[in-house]
Order: sequence, then structure tokens, then C-alpha cells
Amino acid sequence: MSHYVEGDLGWLARRRLELHAEECIDCGRGIRAVRALVRVLHGTANRPAAPAPAGIFDLVRAEASRARGDEDRPHGA
Amino acid sequence: MSPRAAARTERELVARAQAGEVAAFEELVGLHADRLFAVVLRLVGDRVEAEDVVQESLLRAWRGIGRFQARSMFFTWLYRIALNEANRALEKRGRAGRSVPVDDEAVQLAAPAHEGPARQAEHEELRQALELAIASLAPPYRTALVLRDVEGLSTREAAGIVGIGEAAFKSRLHQARLKVRDALGDAALLAGTS
Repeated sequence: MSHYVEGDLGWLARRRLELHAEECIDCGRGIRAVRALVRVLHGTANRPAAPAPAGIFDLVRAEASRARGDEDRPHGA
Repeated sequence: MSPRAAARTERELVARAQAGEVAAFEELVGLHADRLFAVVLRLVGDRVEAEDVVQESLLRAWRGIGRFQARSMFFTWLYRIALNEANRALEKRGRAGRSVPVDDEAVQLAAPAHEGPARQAEHEELRQALELAIASLAPPYRTALVLRDVEGLSTREAAGIVGIGEAAFKSRLHQARLKVRDALGDAALLAGTS
């Protein structure tokens, strides 16, 4: 069903499943449930859980600053 | 900004970062930082740990930016580094015998404001159940679900980040959806999204 929802099935397999799902309550419900799950999960994508904290570059800045310090230091110091 | 202009800006920022300009690196990463943090938070489930993972990932990216070649998109490359770091953190936690916690902000479903209290409560229940179901997935399945279904990346992009073929990725995604569907139950899914 996940492959069906992804659009990965060929035309024939897709049509067969659709015809079967019209008759089979469980499969029809299963397809709707997978679609609903994907819709719910997609719905969270445009709402980032939380903005990135301000400190995410701290390690990069510290390393870059150390590297600059090494370059600025007189040779032999 | 048009996609072409955005790509040009990204190329310029990459070149400047490769020349050692920290500000350019920060600007480049800044384009993706919120989404990156969100993905890592959904994978590790804890804000403090997510921040540590992102910091460490960015340090690795900074050290490796000279080796980045534009064969892939910058964000794909960055996500791959972050995913490796998150997996390392999860392995470490697994060795310590701790499970993935559930962060309240890891999954947010927007309940329309016009809904009544009963519907809002139903929505909140579904959100909590979804958080638990995602947190209880093994890391490879959680990663597939988060990248493809939550972040909305294409199968190709997500498979590239994980480092497996598209067919294998789809199989993993299929398994992850089945597990979450089983955990939530069809009735809850259909009622919560109707």
C-alpha cells in the first residue's frame, strides 16, 4: 500500500489494487490510513520543530579563531 | 530568489567558505540551519543532544568544506554529515542503555483554530501517539520516515543522504510507515485527519 501511495506501482498493478480495494473493506481502509499517515507527516514539514539555537557555530568559531591565532603568532614564539 | 540565483549564491558561498571565510560558511549553513536542527531533533529526540550533534556536525563540515565538490547539493552533503553524527550519538546512547526520549517540539501538528475543544484534544492525542511511534522506531526506519515524509525530501535526495539505493530506501520507508500505522491504528489515523 505504501508503494501504491508513493505511485511506484505500474498501471496494471495499480488498477488491480484499486479494483480489489473497492471490494475489500480492509484494503480500502488500509490505503486511506497510509494516505492519512503520509498527509499528517507531510503536514509537519512546514513547521520546523524549533529554530536552530544560536550556539550552533560555537565550535566552528572557536576552531577558526584558534587557526587565525596560530597564523598571527610570530614564528618561533 | 529564483532557483538559478539561489544556486549561484550557494556556489559563491561555498567558494568563499572553502577559502576560509567563516562568515560565508555561517551564511551558507544558515540557509538550512533550522531544518537541519529540526531533523536532528526528530532523530535524537532531545534538544540539548540535538544542539551538540549539530555543533559537532558543523565542525566536521567546516573542516571538510575544502573537500566538498558540487557533485551533490550542499544541503545533501550537510545532512549526511549530521545524520552520521546523530547515528553516532544514538549508538553511544544505546550502549549506555538509554532509549530515544520524546521532545515535545519534535513533532508538531497544526490544529486549525476553528476546531472545537474535543477535536483539538483528539488532535493532541494523535500528535502524542505519533511522537511515541516515531521515537520507538529503530534509527534506520526513523531516519527514512523523517527525511521522506516529515521533511518532504524526494526519495532520491533522502536515499542519497542515507547512502543507500532508492529501492532499499523505499523498502525501509514502507516498513517504517507500516510500524507507525500499526502503532497508531487505522481508526485514529482516519479520525484524526478527516
